[in-house]
Amino acid sequence: MSEQKLQSQTVQTTGHAWDGDLQEYNNPLPVWWVYTFYVTVVFALVYWTIYPSWPFGKGWIGGLSNITYVNSNGETKTHSWNTRALLLEDMNRAAIAQKPYFDKVAAMSYAQVAKDPDMNGFILSAGKALFSDNCAPCHQAGGQGVVGFFPNLTDDDWLYGGSFDKIHETITGGRHGYMPTFSEVLSPEQIDQLANYVASLSGIGHDATRAAAGNALFHSETAACYYCHGADAKGRKEIGSANLTDNIWLWANVPAASSAEGKVAAIRSVIASGLNKGVMPAWAGRLSPEQIKVLTVYVHELGGGQ
Amino acid sequence: MAVTTYSGAEQYNFEVVKKFAIMSIVWAVIGMFVGVYIASELAWPFLNFDSPYISFGRFRPVHTTSVIFGFGGSALFATSYYVVQRTCQTRLISDGLASFTFWGWMAAIALADFSYMLGYTQSREYAEMEWPIDILIEVVWVAYLTVFVGTIMRRKQPHIYVANWFYLAFILATALLHTFNNLAMPIDLFSMKSYSLFSGVQDAMTQWWYGHNAVGFFLTAAFLGMMYYFVPKQAGRPIYSYRLSIVHFWALGFMYMWVGAHHLHWTALPDWTSSLAAAFSILLLMPSWGGMINGIMTLSGAWDKLRTDPIMRFMIVALSFYGMSTFEGPMMSLKEVNALSHYTDWTVGHVHSGALGWVAMITFGSLYHMMPKLWDTKMYSRKLIEWHFWLATIGIVLYIVAMWISGITQGLMWRAFDEFGNLQYSFVESVAAMHPFYAMRAIGGMFFLTGMVMMAFNVFMTIRQGKRESAALEAKLAAKLAHA
Repeated sequence: MSEQKLQSQTVQTTGHAWDGDLQEYNNPLPVWWVYTFYVTVVFALVYWTIYPSWPFGKGWIGGLSNITYVNSNGETKTHSWNTRALLLEDMNRAAIAQKPYFDKVAAMSYAQVAKDPDMNGFILSAGKALFSDNCAPCHQAGGQGVVGFFPNLTDDDWLYGGSFDKIHETITGGRHGYMPTFSEVLSPEQIDQLANYVASLSGIGHDATRAAAGNALFHSETAACYYCHGADAKGRKEIGSANLTDNIWLWANVPAASSAEGKVAAIRSVIASGLNKGVMPAWAGRLSPEQIKVLTVYVHELGGGQ
Repeated sequence: MAVTTYSGAEQYNFEVVKKFAIMSIVWAVIGMFVGVYIASELAWPFLNFDSPYISFGRFRPVHTTSVIFGFGGSALFATSYYVVQRTCQTRLISDGLASFTFWGWMAAIALADFSYMLGYTQSREYAEMEWPIDILIEVVWVAYLTVFVGTIMRRKQPHIYVANWFYLAFILATALLHTFNNLAMPIDLFSMKSYSLFSGVQDAMTQWWYGHNAVGFFLTAAFLGMMYYFVPKQAGRPIYSYRLSIVHFWALGFMYMWVGAHHLHWTALPDWTSSLAAAFSILLLMPSWGGMINGIMTLSGAWDKLRTDPIMRFMIVALSFYGMSTFEGPMMSLKEVNALSHYTDWTVGHVHSGALGWVAMITFGSLYHMMPKLWDTKMYSRKLIEWHFWLATIGIVLYIVAMWISGITQGLMWRAFDEFGNLQYSFVESVAAMHPFYAMRAIGGMFFLTGMVMMAFNVFMTIRQGKRESAALEAKLAAKLAHA
């Protein structure tokens, strides 16, 4: 209260009153406020001197700060501060660190790269960055894939082969998996028999009589499954057909079904509707040959390389 | 001069003020609920339920529009109509036009929200409404300007009170921003789809000239207007410095218009444009703080009220958050800081320290002051106001801290290189690292929403109590008249 009295004695209000009791003191501007404002003015002037800040004619006044960078032609350039040069400088710094390793990768064979302890760290680091940016959206961050959509890259089951050369071929040219629709040529009964047979190959609960009929159909000219999957049903890597005997599933979501009936039903639906969605894009042209090589070794080392 | 001793319900048009005040609370509950929901979607994605209508992309503008324009906008309409009448000692010039602004504004927000959920958007942040809604807003806004300026011109006071300058600056600037940012050509007279007249980097520049000044004039200047009336009223003390209010008013208005480009650092925008804006953002610091100083210094000498008056507490915390976020903003607009902060949750946290800490808190304080006066009664429960205050404050702190940590983590993860020159983290790893903070943010939002629901209940009961009291009074009066 005493403070209030003191203030009202020394500082006058403007003499106006609104809505009954609304008034204003006429205190001067706080000194610290004024001086801090001056400091920000000085700051702004300095900032404008360092960075390009004001337009002038058709261009702008460059700041005093400079950036030296190497452009795409390998020439060293110095330019007044700008974000594009800064990006080039940054990218350049990373490229310089990567270059000796990429050069080594280009000169070495896959087996050499995979065995060389010096290269291990680089493959893990560059491979992970490449894999995360380009492959992980489908094959997932750890390469475990998604049943029903994208192959698992960490097991030793390979549709097209898991050698360095085959992985390289897959990444470079992409793949397109295909299986015809059988609902148009086979009866639901026949499809069910085939599904029971395929289930029996992986030791999944099935109806033995139906499976026996399915076995006959599988190897007959009516269904002709053996054309692609082979007489032993172990698949043919040269065309990417699946091994049906290892209880590893990509398209039929067998693991998700809890009952034997559900598992057979999952197989049945794939036979009935066929497949035309197994498309992996080609990475040649998008990634450099060295990057594809690094990725090949990285994928090979995920666990299943042959 | 004795205006404050009675509600002034006959002298002034309080009908429209009441409607806007109630709808401000309704929109707050809706908007904050949607906010909590989308925050939860980020933490627990199954909440999308594979429905396009409530997916993050469509629900997010429902949240921003409902809280900024629904809650904030309605509160500004309500308080500006209240303040302009009381400080000019005159009734709004037209009840019809004022009522039109109410129904028009409500229609615009509701239509906007529904159209977003159906997938219609201009994709301009905070201006997602498609062209037919933009035209409706334009018409409503011109009516608002007419009512406000007309009322000021009819004032019975020689001087225009400082709160009204701020409100007027907000109305004028918003008209300008809304008009130019939304210049677009519909593809067909009967189609909701339109294309902006601007393209490429000019389009981005126009959008952020709008976006930042929406913050500057809608969320700052206008709420400073609110502050300039309700803080001295609640404190029962004069404004600290008339001179400061003039200087910071003009400085704020002048500086804000330059700074929008700091939202476009490290983009295709020319470097000179964004560094010009960065320096103006630093220059804006002290003009922004002028309002905070004036508010806080108005309180000096009445600090004891902080202990006893929860409404005062809302106001002082609002001013503190205002000071904090107007300091944080200029820092983030420096290019080097922005390189770390931009596109991260830090920005989201910054916006909310302003939106929850400043805008919502000053509005709560003002509404708690104004609502009982409108219905000629007292707030139903003081205890609920206390609870609201603590829930809101804790909610904000949880929210901002979560976003600081996650934002800085994101910024650092995104640009971490290892010794081989490769990026150390993939984007999805940074997303996974955000999970605990997204959960924490959602919980902070739940605190804030809970406080808001308490306020809605408290206000509902207050209005009921006010109506009951005035009915009882009228009955007494009628009985007395009958005896006589």
